[in-house]
Amino acid sequence: QVRAITGTVTDASTNQPLPGVTVLVKGTSVGTATGADGTYTVNVPEGSNTLVFRFIGYQTVERPIGTNTTLNVSMGTDTRQLGEVVVTALGIERNRNELAYSAQEVSGDQITRARNENVVNSLSGKVAGLDIRTNNTMGGSTNVIIRGYSSLTGENQALFVIDGVPVSNANNNGSNQATGRGGADFGNAAADLNPDNIESVNVLKGAAATALYGSRAANGVIMITTKKGAKNSLNIAVNSGVTWSSIDKSTYVKYQKEYGGGYFQGFRASRDLGSGVAPVVRFQDDASYGPRFDPNLQVYQWDAIDPLHPNFGKTRPWVAAENDPTSFYRRGLNSNQSVVVSGGGDKTTFNLGYTRNDIKGNLPNSTIDKDMFNFNASYEASERLTVSASGNYTRTVGVGRYGTGYSGNNPNQQFRQWWQTNVDLEEQKDAYFRNRQNITWNWNSSNTGPIYSDNPYWTQYENYSNDSRDNIYGYATVNYKITDWMSALGRASFNTTSDMQEERVAVGSAGLSSYSRYNRDFNETNFDLMLNFNKDISEEFKFNGLLGTNLRRDRAESIFTATNGGLVVPRLYSISNSASPVNPPTETYWRRGVDGIFANASFGFRDTYFMELSARQDKSTTLPVDDNTYFYPAAGVNVLFSNLVETSWLSHGKVRINYAEVGNDAPPLSIYDVYDKPTGFGSTPIFSMPSTKNNPNLKPERKKSMEAGIEAEFFNNLFGFDFTVYKENQIDQIMPVSQTAASGFTNRYVNAGEVENKGFEVAAFVTPIQTGDFTWTMNFNFARNRNKVISLYEDVQNLTLASFQGGVSLNAAIGQPYGVIRGNDFVYTNGQRTVGANGYYLLSDRSDVIIGNPNPDWTGGFNNTVTFKGVSLGFLIDVRKGGDVFSLDQWYGEATGLYAHTAGLNAKGNPSRLPVDEGGGVLLPGVKEDGTPNDIYAENQDGDGMTPYGYAANNYEGAPRAWYVYDGSFVKLREVALSYALPQSLVGNLGFVKGVDLQLIGRNLWIIHKNMEYSDPEEGLSSGNAGRGYQSGAYPAVRTYGFNVKLNF
Amino acid sequence: CVDDLEDYNIDQKRATTVPAVTLFTGATKNLMDVLTTPNVNTNNYRFYVQHWTSTQYLDEPRYNMTSRLIPQNMWTTLYRDVLNDLKEAKRLINDDATLAAGVKQNQLAQLEIMEVYTWSVLVNTFGDVPYTEALDPQNALPKYDNAQTIYNDILSRLEVAVDQLDPAFAGFGGSGDILYGGNMANWLKFGNSMKLKLGMVVADVDNARAKALAESATAPGAGGVISSNAENAAFEYLSAPPNNNPISSNVKGPLSTREDYVAANTLVDAMNQRNDPRREFYFTQVNGQYVGGKYGFPNTFTSFSTVSAKVAAPTFEALLIDYAEVEFLLAEAVERGYNVGGTAIEHYNKGVTASITYWGGTEAQALAYLAQPSVNYLTAPGDWRQKIGTQEWIALYNRGYDAWLTWRRLDAPNLLPPVDGLIVPKRLIYPVNEQTLNPGNNAAAASAIGGDQSSTKLFWDIR
Repeated sequence: QVRAITGTVTDASTNQPLPGVTVLVKGTSVGTATGADGTYTVNVPEGSNTLVFRFIGYQTVERPIGTNTTLNVSMGTDTRQLGEVVVTALGIERNRNELAYSAQEVSGDQITRARNENVVNSLSGKVAGLDIRTNNTMGGSTNVIIRGYSSLTGENQALFVIDGVPVSNANNNGSNQATGRGGADFGNAAADLNPDNIESVNVLKGAAATALYGSRAANGVIMITTKKGAKNSLNIAVNSGVTWSSIDKSTYVKYQKEYGGGYFQGFRASRDLGSGVAPVVRFQDDASYGPRFDPNLQVYQWDAIDPLHPNFGKTRPWVAAENDPTSFYRRGLNSNQSVVVSGGGDKTTFNLGYTRNDIKGNLPNSTIDKDMFNFNASYEASERLTVSASGNYTRTVGVGRYGTGYSGNNPNQQFRQWWQTNVDLEEQKDAYFRNRQNITWNWNSSNTGPIYSDNPYWTQYENYSNDSRDNIYGYATVNYKITDWMSALGRASFNTTSDMQEERVAVGSAGLSSYSRYNRDFNETNFDLMLNFNKDISEEFKFNGLLGTNLRRDRAESIFTATNGGLVVPRLYSISNSASPVNPPTETYWRRGVDGIFANASFGFRDTYFMELSARQDKSTTLPVDDNTYFYPAAGVNVLFSNLVETSWLSHGKVRINYAEVGNDAPPLSIYDVYDKPTGFGSTPIFSMPSTKNNPNLKPERKKSMEAGIEAEFFNNLFGFDFTVYKENQIDQIMPVSQTAASGFTNRYVNAGEVENKGFEVAAFVTPIQTGDFTWTMNFNFARNRNKVISLYEDVQNLTLASFQGGVSLNAAIGQPYGVIRGNDFVYTNGQRTVGANGYYLLSDRSDVIIGNPNPDWTGGFNNTVTFKGVSLGFLIDVRKGGDVFSLDQWYGEATGLYAHTAGLNAKGNPSRLPVDEGGGVLLPGVKEDGTPNDIYAENQDGDGMTPYGYAANNYEGAPRAWYVYDGSFVKLREVALSYALPQSLVGNLGFVKGVDLQLIGRNLWIIHKNMEYSDPEEGLSSGNAGRGYQSGAYPAVRTYGFNVKLNF
Repeated sequence: CVDDLEDYNIDQKRATTVPAVTLFTGATKNLMDVLTTPNVNTNNYRFYVQHWTSTQYLDEPRYNMTSRLIPQNMWTTLYRDVLNDLKEAKRLINDDATLAAGVKQNQLAQLEIMEVYTWSVLVNTFGDVPYTEALDPQNALPKYDNAQTIYNDILSRLEVAVDQLDPAFAGFGGSGDILYGGNMANWLKFGNSMKLKLGMVVADVDNARAKALAESATAPGAGGVISSNAENAAFEYLSAPPNNNPISSNVKGPLSTREDYVAANTLVDAMNQRNDPRREFYFTQVNGQYVGGKYGFPNTFTSFSTVSAKVAAPTFEALLIDYAEVEFLLAEAVERGYNVGGTAIEHYNKGVTASITYWGGTEAQALAYLAQPSVNYLTAPGDWRQKIGTQEWIALYNRGYDAWLTWRRLDAPNLLPPVDGLIVPKRLIYPVNEQTLNPGNNAAAASAIGGDQSSTKLFWDIR
């Protein structure tokens, strides 16, 4: 006899009705979903007595029906991140119990909690083994590494998949940008995702989890599930948030205030510039090793020769600037407004959203505006046929993206490396705005224009870049239920990005004026056809299967063109304004096609023993035709041991082990040799041999991965953990290895090399307090990865990944972790740093000593959620231990005397910048060559610019590079969010409003601990293999705080 | 299906076949650029010979070779951007069945002469370098060859190439030959002048070889050596980047605001002492004077002479060998007792005169200059090495590499390092990345030459 059960499902913490909750009669396929008001009615067949309530982001609830006809349920949010149902490769939903591999889920609430506009950045610290590194530029790229770097020269970034659609996360910065030689960081495409549209994020870490995606997922997958509408409901959510941001001065230079501009303690010859004969500051010297400040001394400063300056022709006292470069950074603003309409009828659901995001950066004249449209819908055309589709469009427009690296377009090049402490930023600002000319503090010696550094405001307002990206992605899916145990799914998906970047150097800048334009289009389409099997062979023996094909086609084209020899008309930015004839543009065009077939079978026995087998074969166009097919298998088993022991305290327990291999193809166009076409010599054409030798004999590369884990939860999910160990080896790597130019080429494609990553990850949670109104949940994430280069190619012991200014490089060296920093070292005597006869540190003989390892020892996150009635407080502490960084900022900035410790008193109590024979000098810690403690005072300033620091030490051989390698550890209070949901009793009086959430948020408010004194250790140049372990022109960390209001109708 | 998509692997935007002459043109330009540029990342020879010094940044004038990738940039350009393109051009010429035999011979000889020149630069810069196993992309670990063995081999190759040149046939011609516009008679003179020049480098260690080369280069019927400034191996830059003279991209002018270089007092003082008429073409004036900055110390840009507008002009030509240099070499040959005709004083006077008139001075100025006791070959101080060396050092202004080579060869004038403890470089150290990319062979070479130091003398530098 069928009974009708009705009830309401509510959110346990807010008491608001929950629409769209799946209500299933346990053990059957009978079920329904809650409506807009959270109510449901389900007809329960005879013999069934349990209802299961399931909703993504919430803990699944099972309730016996008993004799009730009404069953009201409140569901708690799933903060454990170890959800019951997880979305796995290809968008397949699986029960967590069945998985033989590690997958960690983050709910949409956790993503949006601190209102980070970049989805990827908001994952930091929330997933064990997911290494997120963001730099501090506005909208800059984010490095996403799962379980360490494994590819020597290729892609190490995780793959992004949205509702089964792989989307580009390319970083389209130039190659110079990645190695610190200038250029803006234009960010990567994952920043185009709308955080408010995300239901959950599942991080698939190992090869076993990702094998079905084939080669491209070898670095792990960030699976994103977007929000969908619920049947028979209509919900309108309006979200409005504003955050402000300001720089964290603890991550910036502390300037010495005793000495002003100059390389030595002298002025230019005294002259009469209008107010009598007085010393003239050495404007052309971009350093602060100049004369000692003296308020009684009147000197001519840079403003004395600016005819429009009120101080034109006048002297002024010789004092430190009132406003140092930190005042260049303004308060940023981020406004995020969105409206989402979702709902559905009996057979349809839809979700339609629009978000507008306006970002005002911390540098003057910097903005990013984003428009994001999201749409998805599904329609049950019949009992058997469901169609669904999605279309998303994001347009990002940036102006004044921060210049990076060693470039005049990065203001930190002057502020951190080449600066005069007497220069007042506010006065530079006035000087620029007075007539919009490049009135620099760094006049050339004939006082006619800048020599090295432009006025920083000129840089921001005149030499800015602008860019736009249109990013479109979506899919159309047809799902046909052939029988009750077999269904077919066909899906076509696409992603197109179209990027445009314009960069300019204005007429009147220190650099040659120029304008350049870069356009890039990328398109990827995928066609998937899959047969899904879901068959209970017997009561005890269950089978899930999958058989599918995938066709993938990529196309990328770009064109770059720039003016030549300067611009003719100032402030006209068009290619035709080139002073000299324009050189031919650089065009690229490549395509890639991969055909894959794959199969997956998983068996379950007594809901306790599980085994999963999968295999995929790919055929790629980027490999030689006769060796373009590669096959790779994966297998895993797991046992739900909590089913085997009858205890009250163990609520869930599982052990799992798996092995997987993933093959990978070559980068496009790496098989056949072609010629380079440099610009011709006038009308005479020039061709040249390329610098990279391609290889017609490439074979697929391969990753082998082993993983085992145990997960357990205790005392009715009061606490639990997930522990995973893994070992991954990537072998036969396809890479353009560096080789001696004596071979005629500086790079050659080979199949060689092996990198191993092994480590363990722990995700744990505990709910120390759980009373009726009060809950406190803590989540811990910890990951430790050990990375080692096992072999390279032939007899080569070292592969240089990037050479940087300052005489350091990033390398893969056999037996060492990937990316070690090489440069010259101290000379050690009995383990002590050794100074020479002049008191300066001695340099090691070799300049390729390993002096740093940029890989962290471990990373961790500590995430807390405290709820009391409608109030919820969440905070996240993000930790990284280790990870070395070489700082070019310190290398130059200490040698130019910007930092406090380059001035002040020495151990004798005298000013250290006095000559040693007058009691000055610096006593460097260490020993002399004979091993006795150092007592030799080194000249802090020898009269021709030589100092103990940075590049200016040792007759300009420089100080040991090892001195400028810093430990990159940090502990950061990454997120704080205080939320309050208006109680239903109050909301009820608001008419059609169904819910109101108020939120106060803060991000990066406090760096609790770090070892890099003047910088943010997390700061890097860019995403990518070379973008870490090196800082040049580093931006300070940014604190963000604000509020958010969310209304549901 | 993927198998039907083979064209996916074909680069749609780049050529798979090109005319050989385009590689020859590109290689010649790359060689000229790297020898001419004053960019501190690549070429600091103007510092080493104290023609120029810097205003603020003292790393390079004080001989630091590691903060920047100086040796690596030089090495990479010569091997990858010059030699490899010449090698490929040779391959294409050899494979071209339709080319007339005489033309083919000439083109191969042109390529060979440029290759020999480039190898000589490598050997005379570093010492032992990869040679017999070089330029093979499949060999990532080429062994280094003994510098003297390489040098002997390239001298032999040069002799063969010069013999092979036949002015009766065309070679690489027209605009593709940026040095001589396809004039094979001038190529012959260029080749003979190179025999003289490269031979003289080893005169102190292998007098017989130097003698034979000098005498065969100047023998009647050999085609002659460069005998006027019109026959200089000159490369005329264009006004628009990237074909402008690289000096103009690095010194203050229309293409750069930087103020990095001033003339060094060493050269300016020497020229002031001799009332040298070339000063106005070499330098700017400060208050009507020529003033050099103190070599290797900070110097205020406006207080000192810097490069002249002539030298800083984007179209200023670069030289590979010029007439003045040839005359100085002949003077030296006479002093060494080689039978090349003429007397040392004749060749010396011609060399000085050729240099002055090349730069824009007059014959009369040259005569007056030569009449001074400090210049006159009979009365100028020192032995012939010092006399010729000093004048060659002055004449090779703006040719940093050749000035440095000649200074190391003749040890004149006596250049002192800016501070005690430093040594004026006798060679470039090996690129740092050779230590990691080709470690075994690099270490063996370093030990074979007596240590990978900039103070290690090359095999011919025995005085």
